[in-house]
Amino acid sequence: MPAPLPLHLLAVTALVGTGGAQVRVAPALASSSSIRGRVELRRVSPPVEPRVAVSELGMPAPRDLPDRRRSVVYLETAPRGAFEDAERPRATLDQRNQTFVPYVLAVVVGTTVDFPNNDRTYHNVFSFSKARRFDLGRYGRGESKSIRFDEPGVVRVFCEIHSHMSAFVLVFAHRYFAVTDAEGRYHIDDVPPGTYTVVAWTDGEAREARAVRVPEGGGPVELDFAPN
Amino acid sequence: MSRRVRFGLVMTLALNAASARAADPVVLFGGRVTLGGEVNLTLAPEDEGYFNDNGYQNNTLRRARLSLAAGLRAGDHLAVVTQILSDNLAAPRVYALYLRVRPWKERTFDIQAGRIPPVFGAFAREGYGPDRPLVGYPLAYQYLTSLRPDAVPASVDGLLAMRGRGWRNQYPIGSPAPANGVPLVDGDRWDTGIQVRVGSEPLEASAAVTQGTLSYPRVSDNNDGKQISGRLAWRPLIGLVVGVSGARGSFFSTLVQQAVGGASGSAQTAWGLDLEYSRGYWLFRAEAVGSAWDVPVVKPPLLHGPVRALGLEGEARYKFAPGLYVAARLDHLGFSTVEGSAGPMSWDAPVWRVEGGVGYSVRRDLLFKLVYQHNWKDGGPLRSHGSLAAQLLFWL
Repeated sequence: MPAPLPLHLLAVTALVGTGGAQVRVAPALASSSSIRGRVELRRVSPPVEPRVAVSELGMPAPRDLPDRRRSVVYLETAPRGAFEDAERPRATLDQRNQTFVPYVLAVVVGTTVDFPNNDRTYHNVFSFSKARRFDLGRYGRGESKSIRFDEPGVVRVFCEIHSHMSAFVLVFAHRYFAVTDAEGRYHIDDVPPGTYTVVAWTDGEAREARAVRVPEGGGPVELDFAPN
Repeated sequence: MSRRVRFGLVMTLALNAASARAADPVVLFGGRVTLGGEVNLTLAPEDEGYFNDNGYQNNTLRRARLSLAAGLRAGDHLAVVTQILSDNLAAPRVYALYLRVRPWKERTFDIQAGRIPPVFGAFAREGYGPDRPLVGYPLAYQYLTSLRPDAVPASVDGLLAMRGRGWRNQYPIGSPAPANGVPLVDGDRWDTGIQVRVGSEPLEASAAVTQGTLSYPRVSDNNDGKQISGRLAWRPLIGLVVGVSGARGSFFSTLVQQAVGGASGSAQTAWGLDLEYSRGYWLFRAEAVGSAWDVPVVKPPLLHGPVRALGLEGEARYKFAPGLYVAARLDHLGFSTVEGSAGPMSWDAPVWRVEGGVGYSVRRDLLFKLVYQHNWKDGGPLRSHGSLAAQLLFWL
């Protein structure tokens, strides 16, 4: 049985959503610290292309390109209390101009993710990932459907109609993770003292893992990644 | 430290990473070259009624098909697209190879030249296996009628003698060798020529000039006659597409036309109406294809006008769980009546087909289909045949 959840952790608010999302815990732990830094990507994969449109009668319609520079930095192991949050937050994975926005969404277990269609065409969001297998069916502009993610893991999301559309939903059992911003910066707040393995995940792969020690006295810990 | 107990996190990120990128096409040279492929294995018992043949010893329910597609993009205006496929490990053939040009980047006006996708109808442009919920083809796109482009009967009686024998027949005028007939629209071969597409939503118009005809697409011309075809597609609301098509081209080969010595007519004229509607977990498709051939019969009893055929099909798919669906199609192919020595009779044997089954996606790029198909026809040596068919489809 995990240890009782400290009262102050019941007030956790996980802010997840579009671009550069971060976890914020309030109020902050007196002795806790933040791990922050930058993920410098040496290579960014090209966007996923549609299947070769052999049977099309012309050039494919223009589309937005997903931002594949975003990484997710997370603690591979976490304090016991981190697994016991009662919050059931919501997040949004939008569909615009044949692109999922954001390309990477990180949420805690129990999060309900809305999939609004703000495009001109039909979309059909689905995933066959082990962590969450679902199919939302076809729906048009202005409509939205949602899915709750109850198991931790990586969920790759696709559109049945547009083969190039894909996104990642990373579902964590704890709240110690952050999505990098446009410059690759991240910060994971309110990390209790201890030694952790911190992982930088980018575009389908856990690219780099590093050990870090958060001191008892608190204070920020700088940790940069430069995955290959 | 006592309040903090380390837990091994139940994250399977690394394990999932290997499969996370599956099913994406291979992209080379910064996105300028895209490669895709498909392996399509279809198994069924022997089709003794040849209901699913679409060529000599080529049965759509008994086939291993490998295909490779490539797109080479040179900027926003130019692309070369090709697809090569091999059936049952035979020598690969070029299914598609054409140049795609978009003169103005911001305008939906495209020109394609080469071995091009058909503008007529809808089914033949469902290029990949996952686009098709079932295994068999609609009758209009596959079933071999008794007509051949390289040989004709001398009289109506000669035509009726081959009724229901489209998989292999023989006529006295033209090529003397036995061979298979042709479907209304060849769903497995594309024609060669040039096409334009204008607009996209809500209206899209496309037209093409090609070497062959719908029934008999060709790389090189065999009769000094071109086919003109066109389609108008209307999308009045999201999820609904209504298409109207037409085509007319010279069907019979020069050999036949010379042999009949100027007997009038050698054209195939076709019209089509297609409809697709999808919403939620439902997908509906319906298509009607009508075709008429001017068959140059030279001896009595003569034909009084073209012979006609009409294919009607409707299919539905319903997904009742992630990756799992059921689908069914009803299909009929009818033929016009001609007057032979023994009285009026349809010039080929009418056919009915029912197909239903399930599909299950193990992964996004791996689909398994299991269907039951039953066929009936009013002529030929075997008039009823049903069987299970299974298809395994892997693609990227």
